[in-house]
Amino acid sequence: MTTAESSKNELFDAIVAYNKDRVVAAVEKARNVLKPQEIIDALALGMNEVGVRFERGRLFLPHVMVAAEAMTAGVKLIEGDLPKGGGKEGTAVIVTGTVEGDVHDIGKSIVSTMLQCSGYKVFDLGRDVPIRNFIETVKAENGRMIGMSALMTTTMQAQRECIEMLVEEGLRNNVKVMVGGAPATQAWADKIGADGYGENASEAVSKANALLGVK
Amino acid sequence: MKKSQILDDLQEGMNDAAELGSVPALSSDELDKLAEILMTPGRMVGVETGMEVPVTHDIGTIRLDGDQGNSGVGIPSSRLVGMMFHERAMGADTMELGHIDYSFKPVKPVIANEMQAMEVVQQNMIVPILYGAMPNMGLYYTPDGPFENPGDLMKSFKIKEAQEMTEKSAEHLTRDMVWIMQRMMKAGADGVNFDTTGAAGDGDFYATLNAVEQLRKQFPDMYIETGMAGEMVLGMHGELKYKGDLLAGLWPHQQAKLMGKAGSNIFGPVVNTNTSKSSPWNLGRAVTFVKAAVKESPIPCHVNMGMGVGGIPMFETPTVDAVSHASKAMVEVAGVDGI
Repeated sequence: MTTAESSKNELFDAIVAYNKDRVVAAVEKARNVLKPQEIIDALALGMNEVGVRFERGRLFLPHVMVAAEAMTAGVKLIEGDLPKGGGKEGTAVIVTGTVEGDVHDIGKSIVSTMLQCSGYKVFDLGRDVPIRNFIETVKAENGRMIGMSALMTTTMQAQRECIEMLVEEGLRNNVKVMVGGAPATQAWADKIGADGYGENASEAVSKANALLGVK
Repeated sequence: MKKSQILDDLQEGMNDAAELGSVPALSSDELDKLAEILMTPGRMVGVETGMEVPVTHDIGTIRLDGDQGNSGVGIPSSRLVGMMFHERAMGADTMELGHIDYSFKPVKPVIANEMQAMEVVQQNMIVPILYGAMPNMGLYYTPDGPFENPGDLMKSFKIKEAQEMTEKSAEHLTRDMVWIMQRMMKAGADGVNFDTTGAAGDGDFYATLNAVEQLRKQFPDMYIETGMAGEMVLGMHGELKYKGDLLAGLWPHQQAKLMGKAGSNIFGPVVNTNTSKSSPWNLGRAVTFVKAAVKESPIPCHVNMGMGVGGIPMFETPTVDAVSHASKAMVEVAGVDGI
């Protein structure tokens, strides 16, 4: 007999195995036993494990992307079952991007995918993003957090400038800021007044969760 | 730092390597020895008498005159002069001829020039001369090459297509590297140095292993040195195998075995420096990885020591104290055959 616990395990395992067919089958099966939000939570737990394995060099980018795609397909199946108005975590908006002058975006894209899979509404502005675009998107979409990536010491200054612009615009108190990228460190985040720094994608998600107080 | 901090960081760095690579930890005697080396006063230290190892230089041909944001010092001189300085004034045991782009692909249109340069160099020098370049498979992706960029394809969740582009690029890269080295061997090269192998992930590593295998068959006496780009082979494809071994996620001790199987003479392990950690942390970690590679390698290991690798801090031109202390540790504790 399928129990809630075994359904959650099945969902978790299917995501960790980055197998879309298994994820879809597990979600179909779980719909009889679990609430939609519980299904999403189990899938998100699986994605967290994928992130940990990615960080440890056990899984790689194609695997993360396939797992993310599988999760998206699974969530799509139960979208209609979710209560109107979204789940408790589903509404938080995060704006991400690689700062102006910097075209590196693989790491940022992984973070965006992981945040999305964890239930956030993510506006990934891509790479080489002017600071003003972060601010405008936050305003337009009622963003609660900005996540900025920079891969070079010459471009990371834009992270500081974006924070300064948030202050000038009177938005700083309502918008959390996280920074990342190869030259960024916690010390850099502290120095420029950012709220958080993620060493890797899974840490970025857990820091975002803590900062937004949603989990 | 205090001695206790140095020992704590050495231990922590060592544990990180041992856990990540599933390799043996260092003994307490070895950790003490590392601490002793780090605490040795003096800006420059050397290995104990009798423990000297060969030193090979990459890109030495353009280190003197290069001044384009690389580690060159901007002294106008030809590649030949640069190489002869390294041989006769700086004690290099082998040298390589390298092109300013330092990637294989851009050498194709100037192959005649490179062959001529190799011939002239060989007529003037005594130490073994390799031809050196990076596989740099990124040059085969758009906008620099014919194949769609797997990074862009993956972002669109076109994973199979991305893998296919990697496979095709690897095939072209192998073909180009073999073609270039066939000609350089005709011009008198003693061998090849594949530098920063794996920079574009497992496809790059795969292409190089296949090139090594083909070259070994065609030139049984050729000297082949293969150095890595990073400590772990990144799985940008994720499923490529060489002789049955999955390439993604291999650590130095595992890479060494495949290099030997393919036919390399020398393996150049790399351990990356974490810029958020101290020198003892990085050195403890690097020595642990490299010691395991030396132990399991079927061929000699010449460790990469320079900016941002081998426990050396990330500076364009690293300080001599950091380089010499870390190098001493690699020889005396990790047991490397060369640098």
